[in-house]
Amino acid sequence: MVLKNYKITLKAATRDVEVTRMYPEFMMELPANERGIHELDATTCIGCGSCARICPNGCIEMVPYKYGNPLKNKKMVFPQIDFGRCMFCGLCVDDCPVSCLKMGKKVTIAGWNREDIILGPEKIAVNKFSDKEVADLAAEAARIAAEKKAAAAAAAKAKAEKAKAEKANAAKAEGGDEPKKNNKAKAKGDEA
Amino acid sequence: MPNASDILSAIQSAFPGAVTESRVESDRRLWLTVDAKKLVDITKFLRDKHGFDHYSGAAGVDRINDNLFEVTEILTSHGAHQVVVLMKVKTPRDNPSVPSLNGLYWNANWYEREAWEMFGINFEGHPGLYSLLLPDELVGAWPWRKDWKGYPDTTTGKRAVEKLATSGHTEYRFEPTIEELKAGTVHQRQKFPTFREREEMELGSDAEMIMHMGPQHAVVPGPFLLDLLLDGERVKKAFLDVGYIHKGIEKIMENRTYPQGLVYTDRMCYMASISNNEAYCGAVEKLLGVTPPERAQYIRVILAELSRIQSHLLGTGEFLTLLGSATYSPFMYMIIDREDVVSLMEAVTGARITHSFVRFGGVRNDLPDGFADQTRKVLKMVREKTTEYIDLLASDPIYQQRMEGVGVLTPGDARRLGVSGPPLRESDTPYDMRREDPILVYPDLDFNVITRTKGDSLARVEARMEEILESCHIVEQCLDQIPEGPIQEKLPKKVKPEPGEAYYRVEDPRGEMGFFVVSDGSDKPYRVKVRGPVYAYFQALPPLLEGVYVADVVAIAGSMDSCTSEVDR
Repeated sequence: MVLKNYKITLKAATRDVEVTRMYPEFMMELPANERGIHELDATTCIGCGSCARICPNGCIEMVPYKYGNPLKNKKMVFPQIDFGRCMFCGLCVDDCPVSCLKMGKKVTIAGWNREDIILGPEKIAVNKFSDKEVADLAAEAARIAAEKKAAAAAAAKAKAEKAKAEKANAAKAEGGDEPKKNNKAKAKGDEA
Repeated sequence: MPNASDILSAIQSAFPGAVTESRVESDRRLWLTVDAKKLVDITKFLRDKHGFDHYSGAAGVDRINDNLFEVTEILTSHGAHQVVVLMKVKTPRDNPSVPSLNGLYWNANWYEREAWEMFGINFEGHPGLYSLLLPDELVGAWPWRKDWKGYPDTTTGKRAVEKLATSGHTEYRFEPTIEELKAGTVHQRQKFPTFREREEMELGSDAEMIMHMGPQHAVVPGPFLLDLLLDGERVKKAFLDVGYIHKGIEKIMENRTYPQGLVYTDRMCYMASISNNEAYCGAVEKLLGVTPPERAQYIRVILAELSRIQSHLLGTGEFLTLLGSATYSPFMYMIIDREDVVSLMEAVTGARITHSFVRFGGVRNDLPDGFADQTRKVLKMVREKTTEYIDLLASDPIYQQRMEGVGVLTPGDARRLGVSGPPLRESDTPYDMRREDPILVYPDLDFNVITRTKGDSLARVEARMEEILESCHIVEQCLDQIPEGPIQEKLPKKVKPEPGEAYYRVEDPRGEMGFFVVSDGSDKPYRVKVRGPVYAYFQALPPLLEGVYVADVVAIAGSMDSCTSEVDR
C-alpha cells in the first residue's frame, strides 16, 4: 500500500538522528586512525626524505628547520607539506623509517592564499627541542664531528705511514722475513 | 570440472604447433601465447567445446624492446569451470594487426576499439574501429605507446605553445600551426565520421529524432552521452559515447612506482575503492609471490563487504531519487544509514571514501578497539532498515508498475552482452567472483549468491538490497572467526617484482573487477590494464534500450548502478 510510504516518512521525521551538524561550531567525532593534517616529531626525524620520494603528488619538500636533532638529522632538513596538493593517502607516514610523521585529527586547512596552506616543519611539528637543547645537541654534534675528523686525520696519517713502510719493504725486495716486517708495520698502524 | 592443465592439453591436441608458449600458473590460470593465424580457431574451439562463454577483456602491451605488440585476450566461463585463459598474440610493431574476436563474442567490440585507439593495433574484421575514450583529434597519435611523447607535438612532447598576451597574461595555444602541420612533427587528425555524424546517418524518416541525454544530465551518474534515436515514444536505437572524464589512469600508473599506483585505484571509482585496492594489490602480490597473513585477509574481507553495503545503499538510494520518488525519499534515509557504515570504515582506514587501505602483503591498520561491537550494532540497524526498504518497495504499487518487466535481460542476452555482477546474477546466472575465483578467506565463509530469474529492473534493485543482508552476514562471520596475529607480511623496502604478468579479479559491488599487471623487473609497472564492471554495463546499454519507452530509459539505465568514472579510468 502507498500508505506505508507515509508511515515510514512520519517515522523517519520523528526519529532522533543526527544528520546535519552546525559545522564550524560542532565537528563530528573523528576516529583515532583519522588521516588528517600531518604531525611531525622533529626530535626523531632523520631528514632522509623518503616521505618526499614516495609522495605521488610530490607535495613534500625537505626544508631546513632549527629545532631538530642535529645528531641524527645531519643536514637539518624536515618535511614541508603543500596541503593544496596533498591527497591524504598516508603513504609518507607508512614509508617513514623512524615513524616520526603521523597524521592527526586536525582537518581544517583553509587559508587566504595558496602559500597559507603550505605548512612547513614549524607548523606541523608537535614535538621539538627547545633552543637550549638544540644548542647542546649542536655542540655534541660538533664535538663528535671534531672527534671523527681527528680520527679520520689519524687514520689517514697511519695509512700514509703504512704505505711508506710497504714502499720501503718493496724497495728492499727480500724474500724470507718480509711478511714479518709487514705485520709489524700493520700493528704500528693499528696502534696509531 | 576441468582445470588449466586439462584445457592446455585439449588445445595442444586439437591445434598441434599453434601454442608457442604456455604456463599453467595455478588450477585456475592458464597463460598461452598462440599463433595469430590460429587465434580465431582456438577461441572458437574454447567457446564451443570447453564452455568459455565469457569474454572478459583484452589488454594491449607495447613491447618496444622486442619491437612487438602483444594483445592478451582474457576468456572465462559462466560457471562451467573456473579456468581463466589469458591468450597472448604477438604482432610486429611496424604494421600491427590481429584478428578480431568480435564475430565470436559480441562484447569484444569496445575492448578492441580501446586497444586500437590507444596502441594503433588494427583488428581485422572489426565492424567499426572508431575512437571510444579519446577525442577524435587524438586518433592516430596512439598515446599509450611507449615512445609517445605528447600532444600535439609528438616529437618533443610540447603540450602547448606559450605566448605573452598584450594584457600581460600568458596564453596557451594547443592547435598546431600550418607550418607545424607541414613540417609533420605534429599529429594530424584522421578523417572519419564523428560520433554525431555516425548517429545522424541512422536517421530514417522525418518522424524520427535524436534526443540527447547527457553529457550533463540529471540522471546520469557522471558525464557520458546517451543519444536516443526516437520513433515516437519508442527508442529505436541508442548511442553511447564515453570518455568525457578520461583520466588515463592506466598510463599514469606506468609512471608511478608500485606503492604510488595504489592511490590512483581509489580514484577510479570511490564507491568501490576498497575492492579496487584489493584487485591491484592482489595482482602485485601475485607478482611478488607473497600471501597476506590470515588476520589481514579477514580485515580485507570485512572492509570489502562494508564497502559493498555502502555502495549498494548509495546506488539504490540515488536510483530511487532518479525515479522521482518524491513522496518518500529513501535516498536520504539510505544516506543516513550509509553514514554509519562509512564511519565504521573510517575508524579502520582513516578516510571516508578514498581509503588507500590495502597494502601489498597486508593492510595498513589493524581493527581499532571496540570495532566488533560497534560493527554488530550498525549491522543490526542496517539489516532492520534494509528489510524495511525491501518491504516498502515491494508494497508500493507505483514503484512496481514502473519497474516490473522493464529492461528485461534474458539469461542468454546477459551472457552474450558480457555484463557481470548484479545484472548478470539477476538473469539467472549465479556468477560471483567470490565463488568462481575465490580469493582471501572467502572459501571459509558461508554465504549465498543472490540470484533472480526475471532479469528486469525490479529484480536488479531488489537483489541489490538482499546482497546488503548477505554482506552483513559475511561481516558478522568474519568478526566471529577473525584470528589474532600479524597484519603485514615482511616485504623489501623497495617493491620490485620479478618480470612477469599477473591477472587478479575480485567481486566489486558492481561485478567483475580485474587488474592485469605486467612487470619488467623495475620498480614501476610496465603496463596496468583495468577490466572494470561498469565498462561492460555501458557497452550493454544500447542493445538493452532498444525498443523501450523513453520514460523507461532512466529506470533501466539507473538500475544498472553505473559509475562513469570507472569506465573512463
